[in-house]
Amino acid sequence: MIKMTIDGCRIEARKGETILQAARRNGHYIPTMCYLSKVKPIASCRLCVVEVEGVDGFILSCQAPVIEGMEVKTNSPELFGHRQNIMKLYDVNHPLECGVCDKSGACDLQNKTLEFGVDNQEFSARDHKRDLRKWEFIGYDESLCILCEKCVHVCNEVIGDDAIEIHYGGYNSRIQPKGSEELECTNCGECIAVCPVGAMISTDFQYKANAWELQKVPATCAHCSGGCALDYERKHEGALDRSEPKIYRVTNEFEFTTLCGAGRFGYDFENRTAERDEEAFDRAIEAFKNARTIRFTSRITNEEAMILQRLKERYGYRLVNGDALNYKRFLESYASITGKTLFNGTLDSIAEADGVIVMGSRILTDNPAVRYHITMASKRQNARVAYMHPMEDREMQNVVTQFVKYEVGTEEGVLAMLARTMLEGKVDIKRVESFLDDLDEGYLSAESNVGEEELETLRRSFARCKKIALIIGEDCINHPRAVQIAKLAALFERFGNISVLPVAPKTNSLGVSLICDLDESTEGSVIGYNAPGDFVLSSYGDGDLDMPALNQQEGTFTTLDKRVVPTNAALPYGGYTLCEIAATLGVEARYTIDFTEELPEEKGFKKIRFDDIPYYFDNREGEVRGYEIKRMKHTVDSTIEEVEELPEFNGPILYRCDPVLQFGPQTARASQLKGEEAVLLGSQQFAMAARLKEGDRVKISLEGLEMERVFRIDPELKGTIALNPTFDLGLSEDLLSSLYRFSQSKIEVVGQPNE
Amino acid sequence: MARVVFSTWRGESIDNRGKPESEWVESQYKLPEQYETDRNAKAFIGWDGFAIFDEEVDVVRLGTEYAATYQKYSEACGRCAPGRWGGRILYDLMDKIARGEGEMSDLEHLKEVSRTMMETSKCEIGRTVPKPLLDMMEHYEESFRELIEQKKPSKDYSVENIDYIAKVTAPCMDACPTHVDIPAYIEGVRDLRFDDSLKATRQTMPLAHTCGRVCPHPCEDECRRTNLDEPISIMELKRIGADYETDHGFEWLHPHEPAKEKIGKKVAIVGAGPAGLTAAYYLGLEGIDCDVYEELPVLGGEVAVGVPEYRMPIEKYNKDIELAKSVGTNFITNTRVDADMLRRFDKEYDATLLAFGTRLSKKVRAKNEREDMPGYWGAISFLDQVNLWEKYRIGSPVDLTGKTVVCVGGGFTSMDVVRCSVRANAEKVIMLYRRDEKTIIRNTTYEEYHEAVEEGVEFIFHSAVEEIIEDENGRLKKLKVNRFELVPDPDGGRPQLVKIEGADFEIECDYLIPAVSQAADLSLLPEEWELELTSWNTLKTNGRDYMTSRKGLFAAGDCEYGPMTIVNAVGQAKRAASVISRYVRTGEITLTDEEIMEDHLRKLRVYDKSEKVTGWLPGLPRQVSEKLSVEERRDNNREVNLGFTQEEAIAEAERCMRCYYIAMTAV
Repeated sequence: MIKMTIDGCRIEARKGETILQAARRNGHYIPTMCYLSKVKPIASCRLCVVEVEGVDGFILSCQAPVIEGMEVKTNSPELFGHRQNIMKLYDVNHPLECGVCDKSGACDLQNKTLEFGVDNQEFSARDHKRDLRKWEFIGYDESLCILCEKCVHVCNEVIGDDAIEIHYGGYNSRIQPKGSEELECTNCGECIAVCPVGAMISTDFQYKANAWELQKVPATCAHCSGGCALDYERKHEGALDRSEPKIYRVTNEFEFTTLCGAGRFGYDFENRTAERDEEAFDRAIEAFKNARTIRFTSRITNEEAMILQRLKERYGYRLVNGDALNYKRFLESYASITGKTLFNGTLDSIAEADGVIVMGSRILTDNPAVRYHITMASKRQNARVAYMHPMEDREMQNVVTQFVKYEVGTEEGVLAMLARTMLEGKVDIKRVESFLDDLDEGYLSAESNVGEEELETLRRSFARCKKIALIIGEDCINHPRAVQIAKLAALFERFGNISVLPVAPKTNSLGVSLICDLDESTEGSVIGYNAPGDFVLSSYGDGDLDMPALNQQEGTFTTLDKRVVPTNAALPYGGYTLCEIAATLGVEARYTIDFTEELPEEKGFKKIRFDDIPYYFDNREGEVRGYEIKRMKHTVDSTIEEVEELPEFNGPILYRCDPVLQFGPQTARASQLKGEEAVLLGSQQFAMAARLKEGDRVKISLEGLEMERVFRIDPELKGTIALNPTFDLGLSEDLLSSLYRFSQSKIEVVGQPNE
Repeated sequence: MARVVFSTWRGESIDNRGKPESEWVESQYKLPEQYETDRNAKAFIGWDGFAIFDEEVDVVRLGTEYAATYQKYSEACGRCAPGRWGGRILYDLMDKIARGEGEMSDLEHLKEVSRTMMETSKCEIGRTVPKPLLDMMEHYEESFRELIEQKKPSKDYSVENIDYIAKVTAPCMDACPTHVDIPAYIEGVRDLRFDDSLKATRQTMPLAHTCGRVCPHPCEDECRRTNLDEPISIMELKRIGADYETDHGFEWLHPHEPAKEKIGKKVAIVGAGPAGLTAAYYLGLEGIDCDVYEELPVLGGEVAVGVPEYRMPIEKYNKDIELAKSVGTNFITNTRVDADMLRRFDKEYDATLLAFGTRLSKKVRAKNEREDMPGYWGAISFLDQVNLWEKYRIGSPVDLTGKTVVCVGGGFTSMDVVRCSVRANAEKVIMLYRRDEKTIIRNTTYEEYHEAVEEGVEFIFHSAVEEIIEDENGRLKKLKVNRFELVPDPDGGRPQLVKIEGADFEIECDYLIPAVSQAADLSLLPEEWELELTSWNTLKTNGRDYMTSRKGLFAAGDCEYGPMTIVNAVGQAKRAASVISRYVRTGEITLTDEEIMEDHLRKLRVYDKSEKVTGWLPGLPRQVSEKLSVEERRDNNREVNLGFTQEEAIAEAERCMRCYYIAMTAV
């Protein structure tokens, strides 16, 4: 700890901290316009200059580190004068269109203009025509831009798209797409979030509402297992309070959290049912009485999962949820090696790593939160990033340092070879050691197409890494040999001191896998909850009884980060809930969230009331949201089966993979995202192998499910694997979600281009 | 020294206005009073004041143009609020006054905005641009007042035949022989935009991997941060951009798009060392075909066969070489160019650049010194054998097991010799040097000397070989060495080395490796061309356009300058390529204004070591990258310097004060 004073107050600062960070943590205010706590100091606004005793001139507090004994003064008439002058400069020619500006009321420029008492403009500068750009989700109004550079930094340092840059030119400086005329990015919208003025805007939200009319509902994103914090911002549609409230936009606490485009733009997936349909409810109760199975997805809260578990305990229902069952088995097998439930990896452990291995995932679209943390590791620690997958992802090139391509299906063999490479000399259990020594490297290498040389390169480039993170993707978790793969993955945690993060495939796969006692297959009559069944409860409005969508519910999710985080209802819901069905059936509780404190303690959950789960942000601790699930003891069994004969896939292969911003029925329903066409995307080589032409309409049969797609050629892709989305399949999506993602399916041309 | 009418440069206060010329006081700085031969300058204005050479100069217009330049050159800027808007307002207000529409309150606003810019701007450009303008308002107040009161445009406001030629510089950029835009590449690291960093480097320096590792970094001697605490570790930050490109396998990041089409001109380049590669790259970018002839079987010149693997991994250097190839360069190896070939080049190519270096080892000038004596081994041929084997597996390895090696030197080459000898398993390695430890460090680097000592090299200072003694078989057996001492000059001059009588001693050894210096092998030059040479027996040029005494024949690098640094060769070749690219099109030898200003500024010196730096927190330590320990490196060729961690690199980049300046000459 470093002792210093700020404005005469003694404070303790951390080594390596900047003056501004120390000041903020200790509750001292220093004005800034360009500072963004989640990126490196930008140092463009110069408002944060302070005086340091014994040093001539003003010191930039956002960049200058703290020094033992330093005495800092954050304000003086002279400092005020300079800051006021800077604000005068910022205000020169800034269009006075606050009345219609999206940012009005929440604008840093307004706030600081007020703070520094700039009430008139004494000088001006000749201005020139400034552009108004509009892309799909994001718009840019150059005349409002103050060139703080926050958007550029967040895009490069946190997201990794590196899609925008500053066009340098003094007074003519502006933000522009990097390397292309139009904006080409993953549309996360963080540039909008961090913009202190109204320059970067959501094209959808523009001119729809004033900041002060919107009510923020802090919640958790329901689209993937990242479980990112977000605020649904809602308002009544009309002038009357009686009118229906509507979500106008989603924002995030961008200083501390990051959100992808699905969370930001795919928010209105609510089930707008007007009333309680008593007849349907009665039919539902009847169906439950006759049913022997409840089939459900992992897009469900912990509390709902708890209700289902209770129903099972009482009535013996079979609970069927494919992806959660696979994940549960994966984790149990994993725990048999480590002796502890769960895993040691977290999102933070990725961001802090100087070596990252991604295995079995197209991570950029699979899980944006994980991808952002890889970006941070790459940018901040210059992390070595090995990307192991049958398909290269060109969008990841700026973080990946080595692409290791393996043959489809050979994940087990590849991970075994990786374990041998990375854990050499570190394994002190004979059984495991001889398992690794006895690997038939020649065979594994030949079948997987991963050469010894590649692994040696990987070993050498990771040799000096001090913190390594291994990310295990869905290709491994939903692999026929997942139980074995899990043991291999666990070796890295146990012997390699490596953080391992098996990425939960769906929003709450982890919660469900911990809470529910799951069954393999259905029997008898099936209740489908957002899944196919004889009686369907649906929050998408297409079932036999309506259910609230996840933006209409209170409850908690268990994120891939092993945290239980609360979400809140952004919109009212007019129908029945699962809690009411359960109550009717004798599993009584007044509210769904009454189950929060009943989540199984033996699995690591805390006995805590929903309302007591923290959800706030401050300068001292950053994001304080939810709690971490405790890792429990587990029996150890270090036997590892020999690697099974590796499967072979030939000819054109389909890879189940949604495009960016799509995560299934929820995003597919959202107004800004629902225009997305389901496209089968392949390389030129795939087109040849599958005998397809650009624009062909094709029919694909997968597990008895038929889907129609338009085929498109992506010049960025190589090889004979095509990306096949499933976000448009509605309830049926669930039937595919637990299968190995690669498949050799029949592709039939049903229509030619221009038909 | 310069004749000026008026000057506030570097705080001097010279006002010869209205005085008879005989009473004029001269400026003590080398201000560019003459822009080019036959072109006198009217005024000079820059970060530290302004100077008037011609009494008729319209000072208000001069100031306005200077403010306008700040706008124009803002690619170096536009990065902070005070600079971006302040600079614009400075210009607008100056222009308003200059066109006759100013008011007295504008002067006040100018001063107010200037003060904020000077105190809070991000880089020195924003902090210094107002300085000469404030000087003007003080010393030429009546000129401003007159325009404002009479509402008339300034005298030269609409005059078009005056050129206002501006140049952005920085102390480090000025000191770098190839004038790399150092603040920009450091900013790229600070901003985590490594591609931008590399692009900035490559504008003038194609060997980013190389000069991010083995440059003696003259820039750091003129780093302004030294005035506050310690210089920035400029050199090591350079490799970060290059490593980024290599690590992620990006396509080449060129400073600008290479010409889409060839322009149909051909240049022959003799030598594929740093100078040859540099010229080939920049000519190739312009669409000019280059054939590069190389005597050795490998490309890269001395950096390939001179600089050892542990300092400059060939894998990295090959990336720099591939870059030069990527613009369509044709390399012809194993081809020693001779006079006949040069005569042919003269006819077949539009220009020829000689860049064959200095590859003859000079003698130590001892008695009985014979190059053919077994045990006598020239540094160049020693390093050739070591490097050709270690990097390319060509030839045979050097094995010095059980041998004692004595090297005579004191520069980089001798350091490479002794450290390679250690790696070749020599039993004992001795370096003899005429002068002292301080000088050897100055001639090389502290790290280099320190690492050699760590590896067990014995340094004997103040010593020189007097005689080489051979055994009965004519093989080198021992050396007779004289000792010297430094005797101060009573008149205050440079201390003299004086031999200490009776202090001679002998060293038994197996090898003597002279590494005192190298000379150019000029046997390839056609005699009838009667090329002018320097007193050092190198090719003579004017040091600005790098053309030899024969039209169309250029020379750059060591064969022009004598044995010097990589960066010097790159700088010369970059300039030569620029001159050649115009010469092959027009037949004229010209320099761009940018280049003329570059030379003027170098004469004037941008760095001022007595300047007091304010506005920065002093005492932030210079980052030091991790090195392999002696045990880890002593017996192998692994790269010794592991480079900065990202954290160190960013911390170091954040120390950079971005000392950009604008200079402008009115002609």
